[in-house]
Amino acid sequence: MSAFAGAVFSPINSTEEEVKEQAETTSESRPGFETILDPQLYVPATERGNLKDWAYYPKDVDTADLTSPAWWTDLNEKLAGTVKALGINALCSPVVIPKVFDDKYYNRTVQVGSELANHFETEATQVLQTALVSLPELADVNRSLEIASMISATKAERIYLVLVGATEPRRELNQTDEIVGAMKLVDALESSGTRVLVGFCSSDVLLWKAAGASACASGKFFNLRRFTRQRFEEPKSSGGQQLPYWFEEALAAFLRQGDLIRARKAGLLGEASSRNPFCQEVLAILDEAAKSRTAPAAWLGISWRQFMYWFSDVESRLSRDKSLTDAILRAADANWAKLDAAKILLEERFNDGTWIRIWLNAINDFSSL
Amino acid sequence: MLRCNHPNIARLLSVDEYVYEGMHLVTLTEEFLEGGTLTGKGEIAKAQCLAIGSSLIEAIRHTAGLDLVHRDIKPDNIMFRKDGTTPVLTDFGVARDLLESSLTPTWAPRGPGTPFFSSPEQLNNQKHLTDWRSDQFALGVVLSYVTLGIHPYLPDSAPQSHVIDLVASRRGPTDRFIANTKSAGLSVIEKMVAPWPVQRYRTPLQLATAWNSQEGAI
Repeated sequence: MSAFAGAVFSPINSTEEEVKEQAETTSESRPGFETILDPQLYVPATERGNLKDWAYYPKDVDTADLTSPAWWTDLNEKLAGTVKALGINALCSPVVIPKVFDDKYYNRTVQVGSELANHFETEATQVLQTALVSLPELADVNRSLEIASMISATKAERIYLVLVGATEPRRELNQTDEIVGAMKLVDALESSGTRVLVGFCSSDVLLWKAAGASACASGKFFNLRRFTRQRFEEPKSSGGQQLPYWFEEALAAFLRQGDLIRARKAGLLGEASSRNPFCQEVLAILDEAAKSRTAPAAWLGISWRQFMYWFSDVESRLSRDKSLTDAILRAADANWAKLDAAKILLEERFNDGTWIRIWLNAINDFSSL
Repeated sequence: MLRCNHPNIARLLSVDEYVYEGMHLVTLTEEFLEGGTLTGKGEIAKAQCLAIGSSLIEAIRHTAGLDLVHRDIKPDNIMFRKDGTTPVLTDFGVARDLLESSLTPTWAPRGPGTPFFSSPEQLNNQKHLTDWRSDQFALGVVLSYVTLGIHPYLPDSAPQSHVIDLVASRRGPTDRFIANTKSAGLSVIEKMVAPWPVQRYRTPLQLATAWNSQEGAI
């Protein structure tokens, strides 16, 4: 975590007391580390975890008219009160995922964000304007600029951008026009003087940093689950098991254990992985298993760290030189050709690298706008 | 409007309603200004442009702070106090309070304002995009027109009647305009008249800071 500039706390996962304690501990041990609360009202009708016990959480969330300004004013007051007592550095404005993303929705979220920002005008706590934006809408670049125009009317100085799409779990974004539009949105907001934090990122951090985003936040489970409405509607798991994944920059892809072993044999693990200490831990586990001819020890926890390390490392490199995305993707494209030549197929059918060229085209289209 | 209190904004003295032949009419009575209009001054020099621009940006900054949009900034609505140098923004007859619902029907082809000076969002009646940055656009057009003698979007050979289509379709400023603002040392106007609000100055303070940083600004 030492390379991360901050963390976004979820009230679903933590109680008020836990967040307060974490914020206090962090401010003592890591001065400058930013603690941000995301009030998580995205889909009110789903499993809420600790959310319902937070003082600000509205009791009438299931029945209220969510288009009523008075309802949001009341929520903002309670949220401001809660947050002032927590000692955290920043707060995302509350939003819901609408059934329809229309102009009224965007205007209303900005009004709510601006009103919340007014509560903290004289406080050290910063307010981030949360902007949930529908990815398919962004396929039209003019719509990107229109949405950016609405969002940039906020009184908050920072934007917490969440791109909402329908990409299935473990797949990569693969619509060129949508990616170009999203990059334009990031670029327009940054150029207007707001700082954009793109939330719930995965390997797409490469795209948003290339577009000039000030910061990116990694989503849970490496965001193998995308930010979709269904994300919040999965049944409590009684079966199924999380698998460990390794993110390989040289292929710009997530690898399962078998894929990793094959890619390693083919000499396709890149320099970023050789610098990543958690990669070395995983490889040591695999080597030990091979040597002792036993099943490898579980490395799910290490895989999480492996991804987090890569994420912070690449975010930092891209902050210095955003053109690096192009170089990373071009190298990955060449490496996928080597995988093909070696007749290596990755275990998941759709993990075939086809998105790399889509991303490269998107970057090229974005650059020529 | 009665909340406005700024030396570069005409004081609103009263708002009266009366009925004339069955029609409900509203009149606004503003203070009397003796120094004439900006229209009457003809083409102005850069130094005057910088001074007038600076004062009017302060006026917009004040209205924006009250969530008001004037929506009809044009040379006829910019008058001067008796000293002849202090510009005053007048005629808030079509101003909009952003905290209240708009009265312009959604089906109307364009919102209120004088088309020659209006922003793309006003010409397209995009109420969801209309805020203080629409006034910023109109002020940019006014300052370009009275200082450089050109509308930012109108090519050299095109008739003035084409302006509405060119602005509404967000063609963007002409190369001639960009070259002229650069050579005149008034590049800030270029950003003021960008086609989309997000491409203009985001806050009145940012606009004021940029404007007053131009060479020759006081």
